Amino acid sequence: MSGMHRASSEPCRVLVLDDEPLILLDLEFAVEDAGCKPLTALDLVEALAIVRNNAISAAILDVSLGQGQTCEQVARTLAAMGVPYVLHTGDLDRMDEAVRELGGTLVPKPTPAAVVVARALEPLAARQ
Amino acid sequence: MNRSTPDSIPDSGPTDQAHTVFDPSVARFRAQHPEDTFDGASGVLFEQAMAQTRMAICLCDPHAADMPIVFANRAFRHLTGYEEHEIVGRNCRFLQGPHSDRSSLGRIRNALAREDVTVVELLNYRKDGTAFWNALHLGPVYDAEGKLVYFFGSQWDVSDVRAARADELHARELARELSHRMKNMFAVIGSIVNFTGRVRGIETEAREINDRIQALGRAYETTLDDSHRGTVEVGQAIRAVLAPYDPDGTRIRFEGNGLRSDFASVSVLGLSLHELAVNAIRHGALSRDDGRVTVAWRRNGTSESPAIRIDWVEHGHGVGDTSHAAERGSGAVDGIVDRMLDMARGGIVREWNSEGLRARLNIPLRDAGE
Repeated sequence: MSGMHRASSEPCRVLVLDDEPLILLDLEFAVEDAGCKPLTALDLVEALAIVRNNAISAAILDVSLGQGQTCEQVARTLAAMGVPYVLHTGDLDRMDEAVRELGGTLVPKPTPAAVVVARALEPLAARQ
Repeated sequence: MNRSTPDSIPDSGPTDQAHTVFDPSVARFRAQHPEDTFDGASGVLFEQAMAQTRMAICLCDPHAADMPIVFANRAFRHLTGYEEHEIVGRNCRFLQGPHSDRSSLGRIRNALAREDVTVVELLNYRKDGTAFWNALHLGPVYDAEGKLVYFFGSQWDVSDVRAARADELHARELARELSHRMKNMFAVIGSIVNFTGRVRGIETEAREINDRIQALGRAYETTLDDSHRGTVEVGQAIRAVLAPYDPDGTRIRFEGNGLRSDFASVSVLGLSLHELAVNAIRHGALSRDDGRVTVAWRRNGTSESPAIRIDWVEHGHGVGDTSHAAERGSGAVDGIVDRMLDMARGGIVREWNSEGLRARLNIPLRDAGE
């Protein structure tokens, strides 16, 4: 897949948040394969810093980040900015109500990384 | 009409009334409330029931100050550990203790005020201080004119029920946590395989391996809910394995009943169906827009050697298609389906007709299941 570009030739940036480094590795490759620039975050603090300092086009958010943390704050920030995101989770049932109410496309774990990325980029393709 | 009542009732020991022999409190109550006795045969039966039931029952007088208990049957005394003289004349709240919940007490008050029939679960305390969960069923008792005469309360010790409920909840939460971890673990395994394939330049092989691993994960995904049963519902496993190959749910039709299988058969069953689906997408019915597949499963074999029979039937492959050879060929690349099924002492028979592939799988059930 290619052509996921913004107005310029600069590739669009995709935030990838997951507390599991191996999953991040896989998603990072898949984002690159889709012609985008992956920005990876292992926790909430990293993710929020990325959102603050970069123009993000789409995001892939792991819901449960360990130690009782969820991606809610990031999702809320992205939603306010109008940035589309997918919620990538191993437990749709237990997913925090607050997170569920934010909307966002649900992608159950495990789903092949290429499919996760494709789902994340769908709204961008629709806009073009 | 009131029946005659004895002038004095001994505190214990037999009385002349056979139906009150086990519980003189009934007769005592009748002696003190002559206007409220019950007539005829049904009255006798009622009093017998009151006396002999294992359901704790009390009556409270809403017209006396602080609504005292005026009657408590033997089961009530047995449940609470109090003697009759310690109960009669007191308000029911003497059963409450330090951890009784204010909100349930409020619900009792409301029910009494509205003369409602209700059930409230609350923590009560016996005379010896031990707590028990009381499912209190309470409601008004009216006389023939419809005037409120008593409130009845029936108490049931549901401590065991609540403990079982808590255990069940705990088991469910545990299963869910395990399921979550298992899905995460399969996601991580997938990442490792993909990563390795990429850096080694064998992405196609890695994808094939990964697809098989993920199919296995889906096949077992449903088993956690059933872990206490020791068997797996075949249909659930089949649907989970095939779900990604039919995202809209229009291409694959499922036909089967609640057949169950042992855990060990799930991997062979799941992987076989995954391979058949991948083949159908590459060469068979699912490679065409209008193609469909029917998957049917049922119990087969004798009662001594039961087996699962699965029929995989492709529709709409088309007579003119020439890819049968390719399809046969691809199946032989590593022959994983045939080899797995052989190893499981089962087998697969494939036939091609004008509609496409018809495959019949046989997988022995090691544990007869249910």
